[in-house]
Amino acid sequence: MSDHDARGLGTPPDAAEATALAKPERRDDGPGKVTGATRYAGDRKMPGALWAAFLGSQVPHGRIRSVDASLARTLPGVRAVLTGADVEGVLFGRRLQDRPVLAWDRVRFVGDRLAAVAADTLEAAEAAVAAIEVDIEELEPLFDLELAVRDGAPVLHPEAGGYVYMGGTRPPVAHPNVQGRTLKQRGEEDIEAVFARAPRVFEHEFTTPRHHAGYIEPHATLVWIDDGDIVHVVTTNKTPFSLRSQMATSLGLPPAQIEIEAGVIGGDFGGKGYSVDEFACYFLARATGRPVRAVTRYADELSATNVRHAARLRLRTAVDADGRLLAHQADILFDGGAYASAKPLPHLMLAAGNATMSPYRIPNVRIEARTIYTNTVPAGHMRSPGEVQALFAGESHLDAIARELGEDPLEFRLRNVVRDGEVGTLGDHFREARGAEVLETVRSAMDWGRPLPAGRGRGLAFGVRHVGGGALTLGLRLAPDGRIEVFTALPDQGGGQTMVIKRVLALVASIDESRISVVRRTTAGAPFDPGVGGSRVTHIASRAAEMLGEQLRDWIDERLPRALPDAPAGAELRDDAIVDPATGHILLGFDELIGRLVPAGEPLELTATFDAGTHGPDESGDNDFAACAVEVSVDADTGTITIHDAVLVVDVGTVINPVAHAGQLVGGFAFGVGAALMEELIVEDGVMAGLSLGETRLPTIRDVPALRLVLLPTTVGPGAFGAKMAGELSNAPVAPAIANAVADAVGIRPTQLPMTPERILAALRAWAGAEANPPT
Amino acid sequence: MSADVSVQIRFDVNGTGQDLRVDPERRLVDLLREDLDMTGTKESCAVGVCGACSVLVDGELLSACLIPAVMVDGRSITTIEGIAGPNGELSAMQEAFIVEGGLQCGACTPGQVVAATALLREQPDPSDAEIRDWMAGNLCRCTGYAGIIRAIRSAAAPG
Repeated sequence: MSDHDARGLGTPPDAAEATALAKPERRDDGPGKVTGATRYAGDRKMPGALWAAFLGSQVPHGRIRSVDASLARTLPGVRAVLTGADVEGVLFGRRLQDRPVLAWDRVRFVGDRLAAVAADTLEAAEAAVAAIEVDIEELEPLFDLELAVRDGAPVLHPEAGGYVYMGGTRPPVAHPNVQGRTLKQRGEEDIEAVFARAPRVFEHEFTTPRHHAGYIEPHATLVWIDDGDIVHVVTTNKTPFSLRSQMATSLGLPPAQIEIEAGVIGGDFGGKGYSVDEFACYFLARATGRPVRAVTRYADELSATNVRHAARLRLRTAVDADGRLLAHQADILFDGGAYASAKPLPHLMLAAGNATMSPYRIPNVRIEARTIYTNTVPAGHMRSPGEVQALFAGESHLDAIARELGEDPLEFRLRNVVRDGEVGTLGDHFREARGAEVLETVRSAMDWGRPLPAGRGRGLAFGVRHVGGGALTLGLRLAPDGRIEVFTALPDQGGGQTMVIKRVLALVASIDESRISVVRRTTAGAPFDPGVGGSRVTHIASRAAEMLGEQLRDWIDERLPRALPDAPAGAELRDDAIVDPATGHILLGFDELIGRLVPAGEPLELTATFDAGTHGPDESGDNDFAACAVEVSVDADTGTITIHDAVLVVDVGTVINPVAHAGQLVGGFAFGVGAALMEELIVEDGVMAGLSLGETRLPTIRDVPALRLVLLPTTVGPGAFGAKMAGELSNAPVAPAIANAVADAVGIRPTQLPMTPERILAALRAWAGAEANPPT
Repeated sequence: MSADVSVQIRFDVNGTGQDLRVDPERRLVDLLREDLDMTGTKESCAVGVCGACSVLVDGELLSACLIPAVMVDGRSITTIEGIAGPNGELSAMQEAFIVEGGLQCGACTPGQVVAATALLREQPDPSDAEIRDWMAGNLCRCTGYAGIIRAIRSAAAPG
């Protein structure tokens, strides 16, 4: 076992082992975080700052008759109370601005904001909230996804035609309760004809619940307006430039009048792309002339920010006589909740919401996925958006097909997996199609053919995910004393991106990492970046850092004769010094070199923009294939699933931060275990049942089994040195792997997440009952 | 005006004496974070589930969101700010959390480090099962806990 394995970092990439990148990093944000010195948005204070609190609707759907804040306004310490009447018509959202800052005519979910208070203390603000009288005429609520899109269903947003859609024109929808839709169609136009003549057709339905991202740091903000009328927003938002655009659009301000400061974020997992309180706090700051703070209570986090879309997925697949997949059809409904406000993508859908069977080759495909308005908490992005739902369905469906055909699930996947040069189910072209290699590695890592003890079952699930792109600019300042600052507005949600930037820049320029610091600036002081998310950061930040390193080298090379007139030919910067290539002797240290080249008071400034561009539908994209395999048993008396062994096999690029990279993969696995076995936000008649972090049941240290991590390195990745991504790679396959292992162990097929003991036990009993009393 | 019901309390935080008036309903976490501006102690769930506000009160591991501030009168509190040495040198546990991947976003980290430090005071060489039992009150959403277990093992057996 290598040192890397012993430290849980996975098998190291051979190609990189010899380089500096194989050395485990010591995170530069570590000391601040382990001592409590790091300040997060919720830790920020200002003299005279007021606390904000909000009143949420208690009914899921209703027409507002009145909101009476007259008593609340008289309470001690209260500085402002705003209701919908004060901000009528102001809506917000990441793409479609359909959510009111404060509702003025209609409420659409339990938690929809009706009033905002600013007071001297949080207690005073909450007392004022409790004193507001609301009169709402209840309207028929809409909870059922199927009913919502029928003719005659109540329309939740009759005024949708007037909503602002940022960055273009909203794609038309066939029903007013549809938020967004994607249709992926390939092969024969009449897919029903393919199904009609197929030897075998299989059909299954799956459901998945709402989840909350579960970051430990709740949303928080601090908003103030300075004497120059600049609006300052300290926020937990991970896409600060996007928040600036959203606020500028909603509030009718020029972007330059808004300065967003997003620094260290205490966990994201998708949920921190969406901000709610910032908008109301702006109006409270405007009304009071004081800074206003808000920290979202966890009950509001769960019920009124944004959650993972619950889903209902119907899958149908045709198989030929040789066990090859002929056609795949899916009808997928995602519960978008009361507002599409939290969704950033142009089609108001989830990017991987149709990724039911993406690592395979299926010639005929029709996958329709829709997000639907209901009178429930708005849904947004959460780690691997759409893929968690789609892959649970797709990989369970495929496994069920294999078992019904009497085939080994691994062999069945191998027969149908997309190979180099082939096109995937969704039409993807893969630069490297490594699915078969991943599956073969699962076979060896799990010793797949080995007979299992009685009561044990083995299952696997398998997916492929794109590496995100986009454009990102980094600035560099080199001081005369040799210190280098890289500045950016890119927040750090814990992924370790500052270490990506430092390590790549240091390696490319051949300088000591310790002289580099990454300085986070506000949107007013840093070049544009697209923020954190979409599995893009390591790719584009590493490439921009690489460009900065190359620029720095070129700049020094050009001026070397001036700094060192008698330098021998070929003298170059190597390991933080100018070195004679013939002898290896150090001619000049970096500090002294820079002292000679950079005049006092005139630091060198460089900027580098990396733009990944877009690739056409027929061009190859960069992807990671990943599989999770587990061995489980099921307690027949309690329905409890125990994971005895878990393996994650991942196709990864060059690893830049070995510790953070493994941390993303293992953390993603734990995320997947939570979704598989425990987590669920239960909403009954529009009301969320469990309003604490305890009731949503995030996995504790006792709930996450040990994981064996197997990395299959390649240097064919789009990032610096061939880096790819890791953060959204490992969570989606976990639940279907466990479901498939349960099916293998006890013969029942879980079709609903989470696979709680109660559900498994009920399924076991139903199955036992059916066995005892077979249908006649 | 309502009557002033605040209470005078004296206590010690990380070796420094404090003497102040608090409202009987004020929680220890607010006292620390708001009144003393010691924001290393985090607040998340506010119901004693997540462990982000873990502190030591007379050496006992507690959640500061559940403790009325008046209850610490006459007691000695250790927060995350009191874990490093007098000159800011990191404890073995703090360093282990950094190098072993025991942290990512850092929001749960102060609570994790306080809890893990308390564990080693109780049990200097804990088994994995003892680590899992003791640390079950500290949620982490980033790491999957593997790095936290490695960090505690490594701090328990330095070198």
